[in-house]
Amino acid sequence: MATNAAATTHASNDILVVDDIVKSFNTADGSLTAVDHVSLSVKQGEFMAVIGPSGCGKSTLFNVIGGLVDGYEGNVTVGGERVNGPHPSIGMVFQEESTFPWRTVTDNVAFPLEIAGMDKAQRYERARHFIALVGLDGFENRYPAELSGGMRQRVAIARTLASEPKILLMDEPFGALDEQTRLLLGDKVLQIQHQLKQTCLLITHNITEAVQLADRVLVMTYRPGKVKRIVDINLPRPRSSEIVSSEAFGRYVAQIWSDLREEASRGMRDEEQQRAGAHS
Amino acid sequence: MAETGNLSVPAARRSNGPGLWSNPVTWLRIAIIVGILAIWEATAASGLLYRDVVPSLLAIGRALAKLLSNPEYYWHLSVTAGEVGTGLVIGGLLGLTVGIAFGASKLLGKSFEPYLYYLGPTPKIIFFPIMIMWFGVGPGSKVAMGAISCFFPIALSAAAGMRQIDEVLIRVGRSFRASTSQMVMKIYLPAMRLPVVNGVRLGLGVAIIGTLLAETKLSNRGIGYLIIQAYSLFDMPSMYAMLIVLFIIAIGANALVGRIGRFDAIKQK
Repeated sequence: MATNAAATTHASNDILVVDDIVKSFNTADGSLTAVDHVSLSVKQGEFMAVIGPSGCGKSTLFNVIGGLVDGYEGNVTVGGERVNGPHPSIGMVFQEESTFPWRTVTDNVAFPLEIAGMDKAQRYERARHFIALVGLDGFENRYPAELSGGMRQRVAIARTLASEPKILLMDEPFGALDEQTRLLLGDKVLQIQHQLKQTCLLITHNITEAVQLADRVLVMTYRPGKVKRIVDINLPRPRSSEIVSSEAFGRYVAQIWSDLREEASRGMRDEEQQRAGAHS
Repeated sequence: MAETGNLSVPAARRSNGPGLWSNPVTWLRIAIIVGILAIWEATAASGLLYRDVVPSLLAIGRALAKLLSNPEYYWHLSVTAGEVGTGLVIGGLLGLTVGIAFGASKLLGKSFEPYLYYLGPTPKIIFFPIMIMWFGVGPGSKVAMGAISCFFPIALSAAAGMRQIDEVLIRVGRSFRASTSQMVMKIYLPAMRLPVVNGVRLGLGVAIIGTLLAETKLSNRGIGYLIIQAYSLFDMPSMYAMLIVLFIIAIGANALVGRIGRFDAIKQK
């Protein structure tokens, strides 16, 4: 079930290869290594989740793969091509509220097509297709402020899908939502992934979410962020959120939690010490 | 469903409309104007002040009718409007550019913004002699005064607006590989539209002040020139008539810019 992370074999059907990434930041008390020799590879059509405690460098990894930060060691390649800045094959979905409040749902979803210079009629048609895909038909002319948080996040997902990325890269896309909405949106994401045969890489701190969605879960250590273990999730597909009550699901959650627990408590201790230090 | 989305904007605006005449605020506003006019007329009739300082409403009304039927007045009006408009465009574009640069670069903002803050409230009329030397006594120096006046509020609000842009929206733009001009046109400017509209509104006000003040100082055309000429001829009724017209134009212009801002707020909220 669990394979060791160190043995990364780059099969030819790996569409995304992250090779030995090291990223450090300069802070007031010296250099801080956020991501420490992390390697991973995602196969065509695969759903991979990266899970770790707060402060494990997951978001840094997200920004490195998305090409939004530079100054790191190692390589990120998409279909053999080195990522150097935002890559057209990678579509990012952010953790924060990221819809444009001055654009309607249609204009939000059509944004990447507008950037690419597609004409209006064509991009609206494409946008409508992706709006329907995330189940927001009927809300085309609404503004984000008129929608719920879950609906807005679906707009953001549809917007990224509209650019037809080879890899959908998501950073805790449902982090700000309640548990029930999160489970239901998980279903939606699985359905879309199945329909588009979309390759996905999900960054999360939520174990349920990771097991519910992913084929493989990569567990990261607390600072500096290293690969602790990669767990294969052998649950049948297509899946639905009902799977969370199954025995097999519970076993995966328990297994990942036993790995994560150690890291999370290390993170907690570290933070407590920092706060105590700040007081003295 | 699609139509309801379209309708929701005017519907939200219309909700302010009905009940105008049943609203006590409307009546209080009218009462204030009527009260001021009554006090004015009483003062004029009492003869307590020189007749010409507080002319009767009838005399002002007559002067107003004469003014509005005089084609020459409209020519002067168009001169001033042209000066204010040109000043607003020049000062506004400069202010927007400088504001975006200051907002985008911490170094530039930290280094130069204090100057804007301190120069901003300085009466710009002190620059008028310099502007006359640079741009002559004609409309050029008036346009320059309007531009200098509106530059400051627009630059400051653009810089502040730039800084309040949600950082994730910039990352979204970058992730879709938007060019710099696309970032400015499709993300920065719309995201900072509300503070910028507010800055333009303030800028319009001070551009009118700057231009008119310059016209009253040294010129041979424009509303400011007419007002100061009426004053020097001690033609008080027509001076008041011109002030009334100016008042109404300023209120109308302000309401127009404000409406753009409000319309936007409704669309977003």
